[in-house]
Amino acid sequence: MNDSTSTLEPLFTALSYSFTTLERNFYKIPGSAVVARYVKSSHQNDPGRTLLEVILIIFAIRTLLQSRTRADNSGKHFIQFDEKEIDDLVEEWTPEPMVAPLSPKEQADLASVPVIVGPTGPKPKLSNGKTVINLASYNFTGLAGNEVIKERCIDSLRKYGLGSCGPPGFYGTQDVHIQLEHDIADFLGTEAAILYSQAFSTVSSVIPAFCKRGDIIVADRGVNFAIQKGLQISRCTVRWYDHNDLKSLEYVLESVEKERRKKRGPLTRRFIVTEGIFDLDGAMSDLPKLVELKFKYKYRLILDESVSFGSVGRTGRGLTELYNVPASQIDMLVGSIANGLTSCGGFCAGSNIVVNHQRINGTSFVFSAAMPPMLSVAASEGINILRNTPSILTTLQENIRAVRAILEKVDCINIPSHSVSAIIHLQVRLPSPTHLTPQMASVTPTSPKPSSPLLATPREVVQFDHELEEKILQDIVEEALAQNVMVTRAKRLRGQELQEIRPSIRLALTAALTKKDCEKAANVLKAAFVKVVGRRR
Amino acid sequence: MPSPIAFNPSSPSRSMFRKKKSINAMSTAASYLSAVSEADARARIQNGSPTSTPALSLSSSITASSEDTILDESEDNEDGLTYPSVPPTSEQVFTTVHTEFGHCGNEAFRFTSGHPLGEPVKVIHEQDPPYYILLTTYISYILVIVLGHIRDFFGKRLKPNAYKHLMFQDGYAALNSDFDSFYTRRLKLRIDDCFSHPVTGVPGRTIVLLDRASPDYNVTMIPTGTKTRALNISSYNYLGFAQGKGACSDAVEESVNRYGVASCGVRLEAGTLDLHVQAEALVARFLGVEDSLISSMGFATNSTIIPALVNKGCLVISDEFNHASIRFGVRLSGASVRMFKHNNMKSLENLLREVISQGQPKTHRPWKKILVIVEGLYSMEGTFVNLPKVLELKKKYKFYLWVDEAHSIGAIGPHGRGVCDYFGIDPHSVDILMGTFTKSFGAAGGYICGRKDIIDRLRISAHTGSYAESMAPPVLTQVIASMASIMGVTIIQDKPASSSLSLLRSSDASDLTITEPPSTTYPGNAPSTALPSWISLPPTLVDGSEGQMRLRRLAFNARYLNRALRKLGFIIYGHEDSPVIPLLLFHPGKMAVFSRMMRTRAIPIVVVVVAYPATPLVTSRVRFCLSASHTKEDVDTLLRACDEIGDLLDLKQGQGERWPLKDIIDRAVELVNMKEMP
Repeated sequence: MNDSTSTLEPLFTALSYSFTTLERNFYKIPGSAVVARYVKSSHQNDPGRTLLEVILIIFAIRTLLQSRTRADNSGKHFIQFDEKEIDDLVEEWTPEPMVAPLSPKEQADLASVPVIVGPTGPKPKLSNGKTVINLASYNFTGLAGNEVIKERCIDSLRKYGLGSCGPPGFYGTQDVHIQLEHDIADFLGTEAAILYSQAFSTVSSVIPAFCKRGDIIVADRGVNFAIQKGLQISRCTVRWYDHNDLKSLEYVLESVEKERRKKRGPLTRRFIVTEGIFDLDGAMSDLPKLVELKFKYKYRLILDESVSFGSVGRTGRGLTELYNVPASQIDMLVGSIANGLTSCGGFCAGSNIVVNHQRINGTSFVFSAAMPPMLSVAASEGINILRNTPSILTTLQENIRAVRAILEKVDCINIPSHSVSAIIHLQVRLPSPTHLTPQMASVTPTSPKPSSPLLATPREVVQFDHELEEKILQDIVEEALAQNVMVTRAKRLRGQELQEIRPSIRLALTAALTKKDCEKAANVLKAAFVKVVGRRR
Repeated sequence: MPSPIAFNPSSPSRSMFRKKKSINAMSTAASYLSAVSEADARARIQNGSPTSTPALSLSSSITASSEDTILDESEDNEDGLTYPSVPPTSEQVFTTVHTEFGHCGNEAFRFTSGHPLGEPVKVIHEQDPPYYILLTTYISYILVIVLGHIRDFFGKRLKPNAYKHLMFQDGYAALNSDFDSFYTRRLKLRIDDCFSHPVTGVPGRTIVLLDRASPDYNVTMIPTGTKTRALNISSYNYLGFAQGKGACSDAVEESVNRYGVASCGVRLEAGTLDLHVQAEALVARFLGVEDSLISSMGFATNSTIIPALVNKGCLVISDEFNHASIRFGVRLSGASVRMFKHNNMKSLENLLREVISQGQPKTHRPWKKILVIVEGLYSMEGTFVNLPKVLELKKKYKFYLWVDEAHSIGAIGPHGRGVCDYFGIDPHSVDILMGTFTKSFGAAGGYICGRKDIIDRLRISAHTGSYAESMAPPVLTQVIASMASIMGVTIIQDKPASSSLSLLRSSDASDLTITEPPSTTYPGNAPSTALPSWISLPPTLVDGSEGQMRLRRLAFNARYLNRALRKLGFIIYGHEDSPVIPLLLFHPGKMAVFSRMMRTRAIPIVVVVVAYPATPLVTSRVRFCLSASHTKEDVDTLLRACDEIGDLLDLKQGQGERWPLKDIIDRAVELVNMKEMP
């Protein structure tokens, strides 16, 4: 006993020494007295209380350390494996190939894409050496190749270089960008505008900037792909109304309101999302009615004018000019600079609050480089030309009328587009009864019961043979090309779009062609339709 | 090497810049001459005897410089940025505008960026600041937040009009509630003068700020009408191709004359020009892979192409600091996402083992595919991905790899081919190489490179092909010209089969790549047949010497600034060869002060400051983006500024050996060439 005490002696002294040093040092720390007092008073000679406190502290630390996005490995679905088993599973796992190989049809699609050699324009030269009449490119106002714009661009190239070399927030905002934003706002009559560097990425960034989870969006069933992606990323509640059917819209707005009253939920942000002229089929929204509904039900309106800006209205201001609706009544007016002003990029016009909000929350504005200064100079100059030359739009409308006058009369062509739309979709109308009957059924509204707003697909789905129609249309495109008229099928990502879209040939009319050329092209198309469809008979 | 004369017969020995407007140049030549002689006198005082005589002729840099000065009024070189302080000697010929691309004739200030072959990749540990810094950082955030809430509380009661748009009004919910916008209104607004500063002119070595003032604490910014030229350490201009003058710009001018500015359509409809086909072929050759696809916006390259590769049932494993565009794309794709710790290979491997063994959540079905997405160079961190290790894991775990080279392409590697080149890795071993043209090439947009079957699939199935406008011809030309000048051009006698005749380089038209006689070695030259026939490049671009000079200057600058800042005692994140250099500030308040102090120095400097949410809350930082256009003097200027401001703001918290500033500047070459930094 004595022995062991003596051998442990140095240990005890060391322990007590370290304890006293620890204590001394502890009291040296500022505020340690407070901690000591707290521990003493909470202990109160009751170890249970101390234990409780310690458990609480441990719990707090554990909660803090736990990451918010916890892995599943603590969930009930987690299966424990040992290292060997994991190795075996890794060995066993074979991933699918990175991509599916192209089918022969897809290869043919890719091979059939025309390549323009040299500048694009009303009559470009193709890689097969032919010069063709171009009814495929988005060049509504014929600004492509404009000499004044070219000159301004070269001046700006020498002053600014080409790239902007930075996002707008970090020294990428050039004075010409500010100028173009100002020009667009002024042209449309809104307080402000904001530029995006790609038209396709504009609306899919505008929507999630404002609409968050829990907000309500009422959208047209025929909105374009960019809007669909915007809706998807915003994660808000989407209700659908029938394509370009404002009665259906009103019904949906009413039902949303009813639903809210029933649930007594808080007032959330509510938006109507639709297009001016639909990319889908060229149909046009009834803007005055739309604005009336929006005010009545207190919704905000996100209007995508990617097709209509620069193609309708006296000077190309779009639907607002056509219907004489002040653009300030549209909360977010989205447009394409690429289509409308033949440059590149897109914009969103609206009030100062709307625009400034996007400068911080518009994902593809914040995280992308600003558009090349030269291209914004081109767009500014484009606006200038449109303002000063209303005859451009008159010519465009004349060309549209000329083409439609010829094509509307053809039996096998169905044109869903509005009569002023500069894009004209041509669907094939097959005379055979098997194809005719379901179509006819859909035209006459048999059931008065409206489609469910919860579903993206309408109650009445138009039946058609996708493969067959696509094949026919492609043959027509090639037939027209052989006759030196370039047109294109509307290319869609089948399966990724919300619903099956009826194949069509999309014409994009331009003011740069003469009426005569347009008529010639239309006659070629007419002949191609008749020939190819006739072959099927 | 055939004579460049054959390639460019019109002007066999033309300098990079056409000497236009020589009459105009005379008017300011006098001012330049006086500047030169002044600088000469200064140099004599400093050095005793200058090593070579200053050039007092109009033949060297003078025409270019003086031409530039006509554009703006700062002829007096007051800020010390317009002309080099050491005048060029008689044998040096600079063909660039000093304000766009600095004159640096000293061959010692060059370095080759590359990872020593065979050596393991070092894991760089991020230094932690002392605890008091962290504590005060938190306290300052708390302070600002509390003050903000107090101001909101009283503001709502005393000035309800100012809060109207944040509240419910006439039946509309607020577009942006007061809670959602709190950070923007109460924190960011205080330092808004450091963001979105409007500029004008070429964002090259220097940039011209349009001065602005705010009478109401940054709520409104009013342009004062004056301009300030500042040293530009903020733009993504790694190789200095942001130039208004020069062979690339000449090519762009030619293309505007020929093509106009737009391609008017979508790639698959009618928006494909011969230039697209040529540019895609060149990009593929540049990167040493089979095929490439060009998209008109860098952000959209990620956000619209990822959904074509993965979908429901697939898993994306993403680095936690991946760019917003990648997250956007992954969210659109519908695939599951897991994240691993930034550049932490252990964390990646653990995650891979877990996800492969567990399979899909709940069902435990095996994943269809696993796509790992990493960035070559992380733009906020300055770190390179540990690519050798990732590839090792790839072999074992059979995932597909997507490397986003938005910042690294052109900027690193001995041949400027990005992170694969830097580590000496065969580019074929990476499935998808993505990158942008905004940064190193002075253009816009992005590309995707990889195997032909993958790229063809993406042409058909990605959103860009069917819906997004195709890239504009001037931008394509800038890409072609700048890329060719990095690669160098091999001159081949013209063949009748022009490359523009092949359709989208799809299956049946693959002869394009095969018929080209020069070796397809990587990294090799571009054959002249791959370029549009109308592009005329001067000899320095044709032989690739200028591209090499740019790469080597950038590598020197990057390594120099990186090491020098560490030697000064700052906390610097990232890799030593990274041209993006984050200097840690921690306190949110210091961001504004740092940025303002830099901007208001005798030689103004613009830098980018970033904070939450772009970085973790406590690690606010300033980010330097170097360029080949900066001279060693510019880096010295920056170092002096950092040294002074760093002392004032108590930023020098790093560990390790320190050198005095003078030593660093004098021994720069030694510092850069050291294998390991002591």
